Amino acid sequence: MTEIAIKITVNGRPQEAVVEPRLTLADFLRENCRLTGTHLACEHGVCGACTVLVDGAAVRSCLMFAVQAADREVTTVEGIAAPDGTLSPVQAAFRDCHGLQCGFCTPGFIMSLTALLRDNPDPTDEDIRVGLSGNLCRCTGYQGILAAARQAAPGPAEA
Amino acid sequence: MKSAPFGYQAPTTIAEAVGLLAELGDGAKVLAGGQSLIPMLALRMAVLDELVDIGRIIELRGIQRRDGHLRIGAGTTEAVVGADPDVAAAVPLLTRATPLIGHFQIRNRGTLGGSIAHADPAAEYPAIALALDAGLEVVSTRGRRTIAAADFFDGFWSTTMEPDELLVAVDFPVWTGRRGFAVEEFARRHGDFAIAGACVGVALDDNDRVTRCAIGLIGLGAKPERPTAAEASVVGVGVTDVVADDLGRLAVADLSSIPSDLQGSARYRERVGAAMVSRAFTAAATEARRD
Amino acid sequence: MTTTSPTAARYAGSRVHRVEDARLLTGRGTYVDDIELPRMVHACFVRSPMARATIVSIDASAAAALPGVVAVFTAADLNGGVKEQWHTSSGEEGPETPRPPLAEGEVRFVGDPVVLVVAGSRYIAEDAAELVEIDYEPLTPVVDYTQAAEATELVHTSHGSNIIGDLGAFPLSTFDDVFDSAAHVVSETIYQQGYAPVPMEGRGLIVDHSATTGDLTIYSATQSPHEVRMFCARLLGLPEHRIRVVMRDTGGSFGQKVMVQRDEMCLMLAGPKLGVPVKWVEDRQENLLSAGMSRREHGVARMAFDDDGVIQAATIDFVQDCGAYPTPWPVMTAAAVGVFFPGPYRVSKATFQARTVYTNTVGRTAYRGPWQFESLAREVLLDIAARRIGIDPAELRRRNLLRKEDIPYASPYGMTYEQISPMETFEQALSMLDYDAFRVEQAQARAAGRYLGVGISNYVEPSTPGYGYYGTEAATIRVEPSGKVNVHVVGGSCGNSIETTVIQLTADALGLNIDDVATVQGDTAVTSFGAGTAGSRSGSMTAGAVGQTATILREKLAAIAAHLLEAAVGDIELTDSRATVRGTPTVGITMAEMAKVAYFEPQKLPPGMTAGLEASSRYTATDTSIFVNATHVCTCEVDPVTGRVDLLRYIVSEDCGPMINPNVVEGQIAGGVVQGIGGALYEELAYDEDGNPVTTTFADYLLPTSTEVPIIEYGHIETPSPGPGGYKGVGEGGAIGAPPAVVNAVADALSPFGVTITRLPLSPARLVGLLDPSTRAADGSDQ
Repeated sequence: MTEIAIKITVNGRPQEAVVEPRLTLADFLRENCRLTGTHLACEHGVCGACTVLVDGAAVRSCLMFAVQAADREVTTVEGIAAPDGTLSPVQAAFRDCHGLQCGFCTPGFIMSLTALLRDNPDPTDEDIRVGLSGNLCRCTGYQGILAAARQAAPGPAEA
Repeated sequence: MKSAPFGYQAPTTIAEAVGLLAELGDGAKVLAGGQSLIPMLALRMAVLDELVDIGRIIELRGIQRRDGHLRIGAGTTEAVVGADPDVAAAVPLLTRATPLIGHFQIRNRGTLGGSIAHADPAAEYPAIALALDAGLEVVSTRGRRTIAAADFFDGFWSTTMEPDELLVAVDFPVWTGRRGFAVEEFARRHGDFAIAGACVGVALDDNDRVTRCAIGLIGLGAKPERPTAAEASVVGVGVTDVVADDLGRLAVADLSSIPSDLQGSARYRERVGAAMVSRAFTAAATEARRD
Repeated sequence: MTTTSPTAARYAGSRVHRVEDARLLTGRGTYVDDIELPRMVHACFVRSPMARATIVSIDASAAAALPGVVAVFTAADLNGGVKEQWHTSSGEEGPETPRPPLAEGEVRFVGDPVVLVVAGSRYIAEDAAELVEIDYEPLTPVVDYTQAAEATELVHTSHGSNIIGDLGAFPLSTFDDVFDSAAHVVSETIYQQGYAPVPMEGRGLIVDHSATTGDLTIYSATQSPHEVRMFCARLLGLPEHRIRVVMRDTGGSFGQKVMVQRDEMCLMLAGPKLGVPVKWVEDRQENLLSAGMSRREHGVARMAFDDDGVIQAATIDFVQDCGAYPTPWPVMTAAAVGVFFPGPYRVSKATFQARTVYTNTVGRTAYRGPWQFESLAREVLLDIAARRIGIDPAELRRRNLLRKEDIPYASPYGMTYEQISPMETFEQALSMLDYDAFRVEQAQARAAGRYLGVGISNYVEPSTPGYGYYGTEAATIRVEPSGKVNVHVVGGSCGNSIETTVIQLTADALGLNIDDVATVQGDTAVTSFGAGTAGSRSGSMTAGAVGQTATILREKLAAIAAHLLEAAVGDIELTDSRATVRGTPTVGITMAEMAKVAYFEPQKLPPGMTAGLEASSRYTATDTSIFVNATHVCTCEVDPVTGRVDLLRYIVSEDCGPMINPNVVEGQIAGGVVQGIGGALYEELAYDEDGNPVTTTFADYLLPTSTEVPIIEYGHIETPSPGPGGYKGVGEGGAIGAPPAVVNAVADALSPFGVTITRLPLSPARLVGLLDPSTRAADGSDQ
């Protein structure tokens, strides 16, 4: 099958490649960009481990082909901390609240929660639970993750 | 778990897209949001020669209020549908059902048209389109036509669209007057496909008599179902005289192809479906009476 | 040991941030699939689509001809390379399941690996796998394990029977006189469905063999790199010291990655034939098809009670499905179900039988609390008994639980329970709930047509196996020339925070600031042998290893400091990464200064002392087990129309001794509890009657999500164990206690309907089927 030349801006850097159409965005990030923080735990769109932001929207990168992301901006877990290494509020809250154990699902949760809290800075507990229900974790029983989400929420916007 | 190889086209206009569908024939498939299709490709349950990605066709997106109708471009994402104030005012069922579709990451990619064209009997939008008598606007190189929702859903994952036709928009009639809407679903977990569900619209006259009742059944057959006898049974009846549980039982009474699997027998689904109709009707009626 | 004692614990007991987190939060972890080696190729298995069939022929020519394909292996290519295959914990002489790497002659479950395809990418390998043509002659499979013992069809013809083993104590009839004369006898057959560990990262490994040097390096997702190395050395007949096994981050395991299975054997055998590194990373479908099942089992549980509800005798007749290729050999674990069935109660008369059988389904693997059926059966039976006798289930337990004055208590099978506190955790958990207030709330809810319930479970579990392969653990602590410290232990973390734990323990033991300590783990080249993560052993065993090793270093540091400061050795204190003189804290010497002397100015050391600042030691466990007890209490609401269960509150009171890091302890409990909730309500690794798995995606195999779990409330009772630091194992208990607590809560909620729940999972359809039998599937599959 014909390979296609694409350019995707990943964490602010343009990445060019010639890819098979069937290459998922997740595999593009992991293999072409060597950004292995985006994890694959089901590859059929249920577990959320591969969640990244495409033009700011949280999406499952296993349910998108790299060619579909051409000319778009992608943010991965590697692009969330400050350039000096300071953890983002969401990352820091996960550390503070024991929101991770094996860490395999963690990048997906970080990306989902980052998008959630950007769009809803003062979520209810129910908003948090529903918002995170598309990400599976097998280690934490979600307790530390839910606590981290509450900690990381900026709260009501200043009037 | 990797897709088999396929060719890829990314047209930017409807004309270009339907031209490709006509040219490529049966081995081609439209790729909309991909949230159902891509898992099937990954599992190699589907192997296709060509994908025609309609994600770059701007004219497929958008929401317009027209006299008595709300027209939503097929390429509009579920996230946009769910958040749109015009949708919330005109077709509240869509707004209420949208949070039940998968998870927000899915809704950021999945589209209204993709969901309806995929025609999963357990999905929300097909049942709403059916219950509300939506018109499905399809285009091919042979021209444009509108298929009534009652004629659109053909069977499991199957519609009456021709292989070269592209769903471009969905036209929802807007209910006016005293009306109420509700969606009730029962799923194993939040975001799962429903074991059974129902969307209900109720309109009342000034004397609280039901003037219209629309019911779409979710997950209770090979395609979305509309129990017209049950709907008719309450029209003209005072809304407080309707026994919602009886309506629920009637709504599921004549279903012949309720699925049965690990999550429950057909009889179990029938029971849950009746309860969902009952609960949705009660909620919709309560809302209509307040209108 | 007269000189220096450890400084007061500064880090143990506190919620120290994990050292693992910085890399894992920023996408800089290193899981197997993240490792990219030059010229690496990728493997994919062709797996059997049939539960049982004869392999008539395999035609791999089209696959081999596909551009990008490197090799296609069948059993004929690989299986002859096996020198020995046995797991260290089972031993060379132990009975074993036949375990051909690739299926040979016959496939024995859907998912059985038949062909190994290797290509330049996983994409191409999967393309090629589709091109392999295998002709199967179907055979009648043994699917229903309850019929396996009597079946004429045999899973392994060479074994001569589908019964793997029968183990028991006395005959089940031994206490018939007690049962015959008892005021109440309650007996139920309780079934637990198959479910699985389901780590978020599947299995996987990279095998990198150099033909020129003979060295073999394996990067593995494992709980035990040393076991992978020993197994591989035996499998290939290679000298152990030429094999290096490296694990960095492993994405969960819960037992599934504790031992090498057939798929990994195939990679080990194929690696040396390829001449380039080869990677296999299991995808989710493979994981749910082939990585192993746990839990599928049942038992006839029986108890006799006197008029007051005091237990007179308890027996269990237990049968466990082990699939076609169990790993490890399952017979002893099955017997543990019988041994622990009496639980933390005063039961003097007990016996059991435990049977393990083969079926044509995926093999049983270890899973968090492998014997937890003992608690499920006992605690569910106690609730059924309470309802039948007419005693509140909490009161029935109170009358039988081991009290402080009963301890030490000899179990009917000769184990002595000391340092446990069943009554204390029980009362604490009930008081956290306010049990009496809940009963009032429940009555009010019922009057309003709502069905609330409360469920309790108590258990005592053995942690930290202290024998054989598991019985020792080593640590090396190296003060580097700068005075910074590295502690080497094998670890084997799949998320259990053992890096942080070891650093906390080392910092305390040597009086170091925690930032001055790092740890090296998971690489057989730089860590001494250790069994890795298993049996809730990591905390206690590494505490023993670190403690013993630190003692040696402490002696040396004190001697150096005393010499340099011209003080008495006994007056030296180690604190804040310095040695100071007791009573004169301003007089001191930093670790950096001592290290400089030890490495670069050895002439300044005390006479006769060797240079350097490094110690290694191996700790030997003193007890065969360290017992841990806990009480779980759960409340729920059930919708009798749909069968929906909502969990309301979840309380765990656990006695794990002192906590090294409460965050880690609570995290382990929570993770285990939610796995147990999954098992009670959602998860099922299901097969149809032909042996076809029907839950091979995450859309079908239902893991709990954030919307299904309650907030977990923790209560702690602290009874130090006899082991190092008084610590106990806490990794498995959550998964043991949760299923019976949830089942009992649901049963309590539905008690007005007079139903008896004996079969898991409590899917909505199954619950409704109990309330309205007409909704059950005609074939009984949902009941």
